[in-house]
Amino acid sequence: MIRLFIPAVLIITSAAFAAAGAAREKKSGDDRGVISAIAQAPLATREWRNPYGDQPDAIAAGRKLYLQHCAECHSRDARGRGRATNLRSPGVQNATPGELVWLLRNGNLWRGMPSWSGLPVERRWQIVTYLKSLRR
Amino acid sequence: MIVVRIAIVLAFLAACAAIALPAAAQDTPYFITYSHHLEEPGTLEVEFSSNYATQRAGNDFIAPWLELEYGAKAWWTTELYLDSQHTFNDGSLFTGWRWENRFRPLMKAHWINPVLYVEYEDVNGADKNMIEVVGFDSQADHAVRNDVASREHNHEIETKLILSSDFKGWNVSENFIAEKNLGHRPWEFGYAIAASRPLRLAASSSPCNFCRENFVAGVEMYGGLGTTDSATLSGTSHYVASILAWQMPRGVTLRLSPGWGLTDTSHRFLLRWGLTYEISGFGRKVRSWFR
Repeated sequence: MIRLFIPAVLIITSAAFAAAGAAREKKSGDDRGVISAIAQAPLATREWRNPYGDQPDAIAAGRKLYLQHCAECHSRDARGRGRATNLRSPGVQNATPGELVWLLRNGNLWRGMPSWSGLPVERRWQIVTYLKSLRR
Repeated sequence: MIVVRIAIVLAFLAACAAIALPAAAQDTPYFITYSHHLEEPGTLEVEFSSNYATQRAGNDFIAPWLELEYGAKAWWTTELYLDSQHTFNDGSLFTGWRWENRFRPLMKAHWINPVLYVEYEDVNGADKNMIEVVGFDSQADHAVRNDVASREHNHEIETKLILSSDFKGWNVSENFIAEKNLGHRPWEFGYAIAASRPLRLAASSSPCNFCRENFVAGVEMYGGLGTTDSATLSGTSHYVASILAWQMPRGVTLRLSPGWGLTDTSHRFLLRWGLTYEISGFGRKVRSWFR
């Protein structure tokens, strides 16, 4: 009996979590999610200086990392896909590099964006350098 | 013969990787210790791993297992394990399955990031993959012949508190394990701690296979802490292992980890290896089939 009961409880619990998560995520679908997430960044992040500036090597490295980690959701041209934010939108491009690095570290878990704190901060800066180059 | 079989499986997985879509993760390289980094939502990770161990009295063995890990949400990862083993001069058998779930209760990154872990195991007594070491687990448990050991069936609940931190490219993780056999046995306790770091922190501007940024080195230590009846280090097994992971293009990661037993109740030597393949956007592709 216990052999059936334990897996059943796990499956039902998992399904409940999935339904709750899906219900929350359906409410998103535009750039307001990322804008509200960026708004949670501490004020000090606005002063963080990008160590790479506009270096072409950093942009190339950031593009490589973007294609590895981000393009699946945000599309290869960074214009977004489904619920994933258009990274060329004003909400993203008007954010400071420090705010974007903070967002990469923390993610936006309830809205489906994972935390990228496992990437060294140097690589997160390279991704932000590439994203900022898309404004041109 | 078993070496030939493993080589065939590895070649098959490598061939699959060569024709599949690229993906890359930020996973830590550990075999035993968990960090707070969960699978990206919608990504399926297929991993074939194995554990070779020398036996003090008895036959050495290889214990391969297959992992299917899926990022259900950004804060929830679920995983299915299928376990098997081959004991030299004895035989091979399927030893059972496990289903685990990991949850991130805090939605922001902190200095120390907790993750809650719960797993159900349905394995027999011949299971030898040693994904966790708890209680008074001993190398002597693995000396029993397969036909005898496989008669014992274990239904267990395993819980872990995972604490993990990232600092200056390093990941440091600590796991506290509590496992309960549902057959009226006491709780068993264990631990795992680990640290790792990429060999180069910044990425290079061009694609490369053998550059240092694609390699992660680390070390982990794990062992048992007794039971509720006797919480002690005496008579428990402990291991230390070094790890090297190579993150290849197209979402393939190769890991190698030699380990050494630290007590008389431990195996003298363990060698673990694993090949991981990430299928990015798996959930989206499956959903599109039903539209």
